[in-house]
Amino acid sequence: MLKKLKSAERLFLLIKKQFPLNVSSESKGKIFNEMQRLVNDDPESWLSAISIWKNLLELDAKKDKHSRRDANPLKRKVGENDITNPKKLKTEQMQELQESRECQLEKQMEAETVEHGGFLTSGEKPPEAFQNDVVKAAGTPDRKDLTFRVSCRCSGTLAKTFTAQEVGRVIGIALMKQYGWKADLRNPNLEIFIHLNDIYSVVGIPVFRVPLASRAYIKTAGLRSTIAWAMASLAEIKAGAFVLDPMCGLGTILLEAAKEWPDVYYVGADVSDSQLLGACDNLKAAGLQDRIELLKVSVIELPLPSESVDIIISDIPFGKKFKLGKDIKNILQEMERVLHVGGTIVLLLSKDHHKRLQDCEQSGIPLNSKGSHTDEPGIEKCLNPGEKTDLSDTVSSSSEAISQGGLDKMPPFGSLVPMECYQVSLGRTDAFIYKYRKSHSLGL
Amino acid sequence: MKLLTHNLLSSHVRGVGPRGFPLRLQATEVRINPVEFNPDFVARMIPKVEWAALLEAADTLHLVEVPKGPIEGYEHDEKFLRQMHHVLLEVDVLEGTLQCPESGRLFPISRGIPNMLLSDEETET
Repeated sequence: MLKKLKSAERLFLLIKKQFPLNVSSESKGKIFNEMQRLVNDDPESWLSAISIWKNLLELDAKKDKHSRRDANPLKRKVGENDITNPKKLKTEQMQELQESRECQLEKQMEAETVEHGGFLTSGEKPPEAFQNDVVKAAGTPDRKDLTFRVSCRCSGTLAKTFTAQEVGRVIGIALMKQYGWKADLRNPNLEIFIHLNDIYSVVGIPVFRVPLASRAYIKTAGLRSTIAWAMASLAEIKAGAFVLDPMCGLGTILLEAAKEWPDVYYVGADVSDSQLLGACDNLKAAGLQDRIELLKVSVIELPLPSESVDIIISDIPFGKKFKLGKDIKNILQEMERVLHVGGTIVLLLSKDHHKRLQDCEQSGIPLNSKGSHTDEPGIEKCLNPGEKTDLSDTVSSSSEAISQGGLDKMPPFGSLVPMECYQVSLGRTDAFIYKYRKSHSLGL
Repeated sequence: MKLLTHNLLSSHVRGVGPRGFPLRLQATEVRINPVEFNPDFVARMIPKVEWAALLEAADTLHLVEVPKGPIEGYEHDEKFLRQMHHVLLEVDVLEGTLQCPESGRLFPISRGIPNMLLSDEETET
């Protein structure tokens, strides 16, 4: 059931979180000692985390008749500097392991919510069984022959003194001494993740071998599925809506949306045959071919009557290969035309598109009073939804409220009023999720 | 392509405007797909249906038992909803054409996907 966390990239069982190791004045040897202490101090927290992990695995194995976990566990070597979950969603606050699984399994129903960045979320739906296990766990000695591997990531000042390999080795040896486990680099039972930087030192166990972002129901992913889901959840999809993705590519966004919000009419469109074929394949593999229709049309010439669509969600492709990149205005205009008044548009835009939209002079129409253009200096990033913890609520209450701050950089586009804007990381590049609402008819 | 989709498509050949709807359907290959019946979903689609267009398309495909229009209390009428479900969602046109009623331009449907791309000269300003 943890796999229902749709916006999270990876999920870890937290073993320890504490202040950063002090690197400045001490000798290397001393710092190694400190690292060893991460392992040796407080074996309780280690043991209980491992117990929970074992319980989770058993539960998972029972529920999952077709185990998805053996689909290619990512290969990671000890001491790789980059943890192989490259596409973290960045947020201003480092919420990562904070609340995630402090070895207390709280029953918050914020399961799907993420601070849009939710690297690791604070909510989940644990089964009742666990509540008691935590208490017992600490006492059970778990010294079966576990094989393990340490994956380590260092950044900040620490990284200048140590390589991740060194750290990994120190921790690995400490673990071997402490618990008698054997190291296995290729296919260990247990993986230990360590993340050391200037802000915190964290140790944890990944809950799944494969990142949550890789979905069982998506055969070939285009856009990262976590972002696709996040976009769909921003779009306020309600039962009976008509949702269009006019540049659907392989259909990732529609797949994520259709899985989550089934009673909706979905249509995807693309100009490329190969993409449409891929999308068709994906739909069949997911069993969703009856719920999502495909069209071969161009986004700047949609063969739909005006004001016929409720929601548009799209990842606007960028890059040199895509020639329509410059036509962001035309694209938006056509989307605006087919959208119902009050409908929403959620787009993923590159920095380039973002810039072009900012320069855009489409707005002859003044914003309504709440969303005035304030020239607040120093607000660099778009609004980050750190404050909102419950997506399902945000959605219904944000109809008139335009978030302050970051929107000073987001001009309205014709009758499209910007509602929210989030900066997300796609790994190497950053992008922006924009949400607009159509405030009035174009009177065409 | 389902009839629910056909019901929404309109030609955007230059100058045609609203007269580009509905597109005339011609089918060479049709498949009936069983689709799980979801009465809520069907009920919500009913208000969006353009009936004349639907009836015309259903007629071309020689479908029977097609309701002529929404009936009183349709939301709870299972028989009506099931008929609409069948017409809108279970009939899939795999191969055929869609024709713009004003300009005569033909759009092919292939593997269930209508191709409505226009060349540059044909598109509206």
